[in-house]
Amino acid sequence: MAEFFETDDVTKGYDSTIASRILSYMKPHRGIAIAALLALIVSTAGELLSPVLIRRAIDDALMKTWFSVSVSVEDSPEAAALKLSESDPRIGDRIYMRSSRFSALSAKEKTSLAASGAFDTREVYVFPLKPEQEGQAALLSARPELFTIGTEYGVISIEALRGLPSAEARALRQADSALVLRYVLILGMILLAILASTFVMVYFSNLLGLRVMKDIRMQLFGHVLSRSFAFLNKQPVGRLVTRMTSDVETINQFFTDVLSAFIKDASIMAGALAVLYFFDVRLALVVTASLPIVLIAANVARKKARDAFRNQRRWTSKVNSYISEHISGVEVVKLFRREKKSKTEFSEHNENLKKANLGEMYVFAAFRPAVDFMATFTTALSLCAGAWLYLSQSISLGTLIAFVNLISMFYSPIKDLSEKYILLQSAMAGGERIFTLLDADETIPDKPSLPMPSRIRGHIEFDKVWFAYKEEEWVLKDLSFTMEPGQMVAIVGYTGAGKTTIANLVTRFWDIQKGEIRIDGLPVKELPLQGLRTKIQPVPQEVFLFSGTIAENIRLGEDVSLERMKLAAEAVHANEFIDALPDKYDTQLSEGGSNISQGQRQLLSFARVLAHEPSIIILDEATSSVDTETEKLIQRGIEGLLAGRTSIVIAHRLSTIRHADKIIVLAKGRIAEMGKHDELIKRRGLYWNLYRLQNSGLV
Amino acid sequence: MFKEYKTILPYLKKYRLFYGLGIFFLVVVDAAQVFIPRLIKKAVDVVADGGYVMADVIKPALLMIGLMAFIAVGRYFWRYFIIGASRRIEAELRNKLFGHLMEMSSDFFQDNKTGDLMARATNDMNAVRQSIGMGFVSFVDGIFMSSLILIAMISDNASVALYTVLPLPLVTVLILFFGRLVGRQFKRVQEVYSKLSDIAQETISGMRVVKAFVKEKYFSARFSETNDSYRDVTMDLVKTFGLFFPLISFLAGLSTAILVLAGGGAVIANKMSPGDIIAMIAYLEMLIWPMMGAGFTVNLIQRGTASLKRINEVLNRKSAIVEALDATDVPPSGDLEVRDLEYSYSKDGAKVLQAINFKVGEGETLGILGRVGCGKSTLIKLLPRLLDPGPEKVFFGGKDSSSYRLSALRSVFGFVPQESFLFSASVKANILFGVEECPDERFQALSRIASLDRDISLFPNGWDTIVGERGLTLSGGQKQRIAIARALALDPRILVMDDALSAVDAETEERILQSLLLERKGRTNILVSHRVSTLRHADRILVLDSGKMLQYGSHEELMKDKKGFYAEIARLQELETELCADSPDSPGSAGSAACAEEGR
Repeated sequence: MAEFFETDDVTKGYDSTIASRILSYMKPHRGIAIAALLALIVSTAGELLSPVLIRRAIDDALMKTWFSVSVSVEDSPEAAALKLSESDPRIGDRIYMRSSRFSALSAKEKTSLAASGAFDTREVYVFPLKPEQEGQAALLSARPELFTIGTEYGVISIEALRGLPSAEARALRQADSALVLRYVLILGMILLAILASTFVMVYFSNLLGLRVMKDIRMQLFGHVLSRSFAFLNKQPVGRLVTRMTSDVETINQFFTDVLSAFIKDASIMAGALAVLYFFDVRLALVVTASLPIVLIAANVARKKARDAFRNQRRWTSKVNSYISEHISGVEVVKLFRREKKSKTEFSEHNENLKKANLGEMYVFAAFRPAVDFMATFTTALSLCAGAWLYLSQSISLGTLIAFVNLISMFYSPIKDLSEKYILLQSAMAGGERIFTLLDADETIPDKPSLPMPSRIRGHIEFDKVWFAYKEEEWVLKDLSFTMEPGQMVAIVGYTGAGKTTIANLVTRFWDIQKGEIRIDGLPVKELPLQGLRTKIQPVPQEVFLFSGTIAENIRLGEDVSLERMKLAAEAVHANEFIDALPDKYDTQLSEGGSNISQGQRQLLSFARVLAHEPSIIILDEATSSVDTETEKLIQRGIEGLLAGRTSIVIAHRLSTIRHADKIIVLAKGRIAEMGKHDELIKRRGLYWNLYRLQNSGLV
Repeated sequence: MFKEYKTILPYLKKYRLFYGLGIFFLVVVDAAQVFIPRLIKKAVDVVADGGYVMADVIKPALLMIGLMAFIAVGRYFWRYFIIGASRRIEAELRNKLFGHLMEMSSDFFQDNKTGDLMARATNDMNAVRQSIGMGFVSFVDGIFMSSLILIAMISDNASVALYTVLPLPLVTVLILFFGRLVGRQFKRVQEVYSKLSDIAQETISGMRVVKAFVKEKYFSARFSETNDSYRDVTMDLVKTFGLFFPLISFLAGLSTAILVLAGGGAVIANKMSPGDIIAMIAYLEMLIWPMMGAGFTVNLIQRGTASLKRINEVLNRKSAIVEALDATDVPPSGDLEVRDLEYSYSKDGAKVLQAINFKVGEGETLGILGRVGCGKSTLIKLLPRLLDPGPEKVFFGGKDSSSYRLSALRSVFGFVPQESFLFSASVKANILFGVEECPDERFQALSRIASLDRDISLFPNGWDTIVGERGLTLSGGQKQRIAIARALALDPRILVMDDALSAVDAETEERILQSLLLERKGRTNILVSHRVSTLRHADRILVLDSGKMLQYGSHEELMKDKKGFYAEIARLQELETELCADSPDSPGSAGSAACAEEGR
């Protein structure tokens, strides 16, 4: 339930070390990253292009107007700026040009042209004469008073054009209709390109995120598996799992939501601004001027949002842990008749959570409308400025309209800026936690100076072994004993005497502080860890079964033949229950093997050990009390497991070890008694007492 | 489907003013929003027609700014009212749920795991809140906004408007379709994700096996496989998502393209002004949200209903332990008597207790001894009706335990449970858990009796040190001693200690018992223990075996029965203590604790 209690707050701001470390995981997936980036560029370009196209459709097709100038000034210096050419339509003594050509001139050039008297600032519409078009011909002959006709072109004033009935206007402007259609088709293609490229972008950026996640998860997993128990015992399982799951997920969000959104938003904003400048510097300046205000507002909102969010998280986790704690401790609540008081206390926490929730709501309720307002404010401002410029013939209507579009495009990324910042923060926090774990370096050193002998005879020697889990709290003190190949040595003692510890030392789950442990005369610290652990097999107290089939649990991925597996199961009498199951060895075990009995679980773990054919077995007997039936079942299993093998048995049930070759009685980390069962019973010492205490069934 | 909403109907009624005002602001804002493009249109048309003065442009611009300021304020207020109401209802519903949980009897908590109850109190609560918050908003907004915009667009130019909005209903259809697909795929992703988490959890928990069999590679491969399948199912979801949002943008863009084509034709034909096109572009942008909203509303309400159903399941459960109508508020007094008690956890289940008879007079101490699983804990839970013993089994002062109100009955008990559950609060708050106030002297006395006075110097913030999940990790012995002080603080008529000194070393145990019995002089105690050293302080001792009474009598009586279970245990434990004390090491507290506390 770690997710309910994750208290690590998202206080982490942007941290370049963590960010660059996260980004370094991208390296192996460069190709995908580049593909995503290319798609991003295409989709951004497409999105910026569409308003440009709409502008062209309006200026070039819908709102096409012309001015005229007298032929007399064609070669004069004033007209040079107009760049008149032979291809410009000429009717009589006038040359016609698109009004945009005039808008582009500087104020000085405009004045000097106007002063020349040869320039006519009345807007007209120029069209090529096409006698083969019936509509045009009919109109020209029906209303000749509206037109001035040349050899190739005809002219009509804008006022007259607007006054024409629909059908006639359409007939006159057929070319424009065709042009609109062309623009719309291009627009459609751009839309398709955006659709495709956005899909590709989303696809690849997610693929990138998932690949990186897998890399990090595998690295974490391998890292955790190779840490020593000294490290692992300090880490709650839930915390390690959280590192591998939800913390890594925040990094995924970094790639899919933060990074790509950041690049996209930045390029949209920059692109929109660039296009604005390209259209008209003065209008763009108006928009730019509003930017600092918006950024300041966004920054204020970001801080407010962060505080509100943090507050919300704090109280959410407090309320959740309060609920969960009171569910777990409900009996205590009842016994102490705290129901009312707990309810009151809860409603106080709950009230605080509500306030925090409302606080977050107020921030967002104020911020979004504020950004919208800024966008409209800027739109209104540029409309005014634009109208003024248009009035002075400086910009076209299409430009003005494109502006309205671009401004809203410019502002949209700002709206969810704070959400993205929060995601960035949690990625930073997640990254920090992951890297802290990855930087933890507590392992059992594996630097063998000796090769693993291919056969182990089974001579084990503890030579003045001192061991403590924590500094100076000695669990084993100066322990020395030897066992010969083929022997069975039993270790007994009261709880806490250090018995289980011995099982942990031979295969180096923990390293001893003083003394030496030798296998066949070779110090275990000098042997390769893997070889050591393959030859010597500890059987831990707690049976641990993995989800999967019985066969998978016996094999654990090892290439064990069916025959060998069956032999192993038979030896410990596990075959009896396995064969009775409908799917036999392929029976699925549920979580922790809860669909088979406790005794059966034990037998399965014995079969697992035998299937791996170890040279030495270290059996740590389970302490949990079981009924007589199960007890018998396990006893038979143990007999099968140990038959003819070198073994150390850490015994809790003394019945198991009656026939041991040597019984070591431990008390407080030292050997108190040693000998065979009968000898020790005769001695009437610690062993004798233990024996009787265990038969009482109280421990 | 809507019958589930009965639970929150009273809350909705309570906040009807919030909802009413919220709807008002929502509608006003919608109307104002629809008005904005008309202003833009006016300004553009004035400009396009030429022959205007600046005032003609500035006037609509100013109006637009004013309107937008109004919209911003209005938006704030509908959020304030509707989202605010949903947050408030969420808080009240959570209060109700928590209160209800506190009323439930033990059987309920056996049927419902903490994790599942937590999911209902968190995830489900969120879904319900969203359905009565944003779900409600998008419903009202969707209907109102889309009809207003459609009216505005159609009144400008009916045929152009109709062509243009043609692709938009597809948005709603898409959301409904994709919503379901995404729901399925998302569930799949969640499944694989939890499998991923399970494997990590399982492997780390089974680390001993992994290392013992040198299977690091095998388990890495397993993890890697699940990672791959996580990638695959996530990519399925990504493909849907990757198509979904761009497709909506595409449809919106398509509408604009149609608008330019149809509207452009209309402009050429002198049927529309350029301002109309601008206004329509703005309208189209506004229409996308209600069209998406329509889809979201359906999803949000569906999820909300399902979640509300799960919450109702809890709220509709009744506690199995009920109080009689004529139950008395007067706390019981007099002898505690158990007559012919038997108990089983389920109707046809095996009997955990059978034929139990005993009587504890006022001021007496009863000891209970028995093997693990003999029914000791069940027996003592039946006394304060944490579990229901049924009628005519447990009597206080000759009256049946069910004739008392639960709070009256439980008020005479001070309980030290087997698992000393502490809450995430200060040590002091934990000790004073069951009392309103406690004079300082009394508090000091309590801490002395429980031998906590010597631990206090080890706590970083003294008595104010926070313990539990997020605070200081205490040893088992410290927890038990705090739990003892907690029970003693009540100064209960009957003190019940369920194996409450198991994690305390023998020396400390003896010290606590001495002062405890002194403190408890003249009052009733029930001590469950497997140590004779504790039990010998009792007036009478009950030996339980497999739910039946094996022996019953005073320490001396039971010791006389040399072959009896009790006497045997006593001898063995004596030897054990001797051996532990005789050990060659210094007998400091850590050393003797090792004899009592669990090893690794």
